[in-house]
Amino acid sequence: MNDVAVIGAGMTVFQRRLKETGKELSYLATKMALEEAGITKKDIDMVVMGSAPDAFDGIHQKGENLLDGAAGAGKPYVRVFNGGGTGVFAPIAGWWHVASGVADIALVVCEEKMGNCYPHPQTAFRHIWDPILDRPLAPNLVWLFAMEMNRYMTKYNIKKEDIARVAVKNKRNAVGHPCAQLPDEKITIEDVLNSEMMAWPVQRLDISPPSDGASALILCSKDKVRQFTDDPVWVDGVGWNIDSTMWTNRDLCFPRYVANAARMAYKMAGIHNPRKDIDFAEPYDPFDYKELHHMEGLLLCNKGEAPILTREGVTERDGDMPMCPSGGLMGVGNPIAATMGQKVCELYWQLAGKAGKRQIPGDPLVGVGQAWGDIMQMATVAVLRRG
Amino acid sequence: MTFLEKQTDPTTPMHWNGDMQADYFYSNGVAGDKFFKHLMKKDTFLASMCPECGVVFIPPRLYCEDCFCGIPDENWVEVKAQGVIRTNTTAMMDAHNEPLEEPVVMALIEIDETDGAMLGRIKTDMLGMDLTGMMVKAKLRPKKEREGTMKDILYFEPY
Repeated sequence: MNDVAVIGAGMTVFQRRLKETGKELSYLATKMALEEAGITKKDIDMVVMGSAPDAFDGIHQKGENLLDGAAGAGKPYVRVFNGGGTGVFAPIAGWWHVASGVADIALVVCEEKMGNCYPHPQTAFRHIWDPILDRPLAPNLVWLFAMEMNRYMTKYNIKKEDIARVAVKNKRNAVGHPCAQLPDEKITIEDVLNSEMMAWPVQRLDISPPSDGASALILCSKDKVRQFTDDPVWVDGVGWNIDSTMWTNRDLCFPRYVANAARMAYKMAGIHNPRKDIDFAEPYDPFDYKELHHMEGLLLCNKGEAPILTREGVTERDGDMPMCPSGGLMGVGNPIAATMGQKVCELYWQLAGKAGKRQIPGDPLVGVGQAWGDIMQMATVAVLRRG
Repeated sequence: MTFLEKQTDPTTPMHWNGDMQADYFYSNGVAGDKFFKHLMKKDTFLASMCPECGVVFIPPRLYCEDCFCGIPDENWVEVKAQGVIRTNTTAMMDAHNEPLEEPVVMALIEIDETDGAMLGRIKTDMLGMDLTGMMVKAKLRPKKEREGTMKDILYFEPY
């Protein structure tokens, strides 16, 4: 298996509704990544597109529609998707293109244009449920995650303010991110606790916003990487795991599929003690409680311990183990697949010392990014390392 | 570059108004048919037990996803239409992000005598609070009105 490095990344602004089409967004993110890497379309061997439900953009089989904006025309090109897991799964697919030796340079582009879906992109989520057992009850995803959040809070006796703390941290972290949709340096826990109740216990500011956007990443084989940099950032381990759609049979207080994916990635990366060996993380945070849930799933702390570490400041950007230094989905925005920008591109920018105002102090060496999707069942994990 | 323009109205950019309309008939499946035909006649649920690991599935399934073996007819069991709430929410907004006329209490209910749980609406005036551990039973439509869908379970209520 060939070693795989990252040599460039790009990301558009994330906003609720953008004028650009999906392929235009893809072009802008791709162009930025190509320029950072110092290469052109002709240097790209293969392209991976990551984009989640067709129903957001409103184009069936949208991968084919997006490809020309993703430098895919006339090249080996494939779209991968597994809901919210796509943002880390697409770079995993790019990794195996290079690790297998079939490509020296692979481009990964992730796109989502949720604003096309009217009146609200939640509308599209009404159709992901089991049509016989769940849909007749007319649930939506916010209701579902509210039940998971309550289960997590009840099991470990977690106070709502300790969950709201994550929203505050990430929206503050997003200040200074040039792509951020919802940065807020003045937000307080009280703001979150006083925001509109959507589905108890989930309130408006517990949720990341729907968004339009794109991101891109360029992966390179060990054989060629020295042409581009003397200090590469490596994709050291990848893992993915999915549980059954029969989510009603799971306990909902611990995401075992995340732990399975993490163990796979850590084994590949030679990480034996994640808490000690990993310097920072980008756990998937479409809701504030999910950052805590996923810290535990990523084996970065014990079950029920994540809110305590957060309260103690351990997960702040200048803490012992920063979580979502990008600002995450809560602060930067949540164009589903395009959150590769926070979950993998950010690892690269941090490890390469290119994160600007978001740069973690202390010269981090190892970061882990994770995404989560489908009906509380999919986990995708990537470990990146400098040097 | 439009990136710094904040748009909240999707009709602001020039656009074409389209849809992806398609309608469906979803078959209940073999296990689903059996479950719902039973529910049309009885006030209990059917579950199915894996012959290898002993896990009791509700709603019943034709196979065990872990042992990956079939579940024979003799392993289908009748269980009471009742259980205990594992977790719940009180929904205030619908899928279009609009306020609901009436809040909806939805719960995950661990069905007695099984290893599974079912999604259900709860009839209660205890809104916006944790109902974990509450014992509830299904309120079913009158038998002559049952259609063989989840709609035959009107709601669950405390007992």
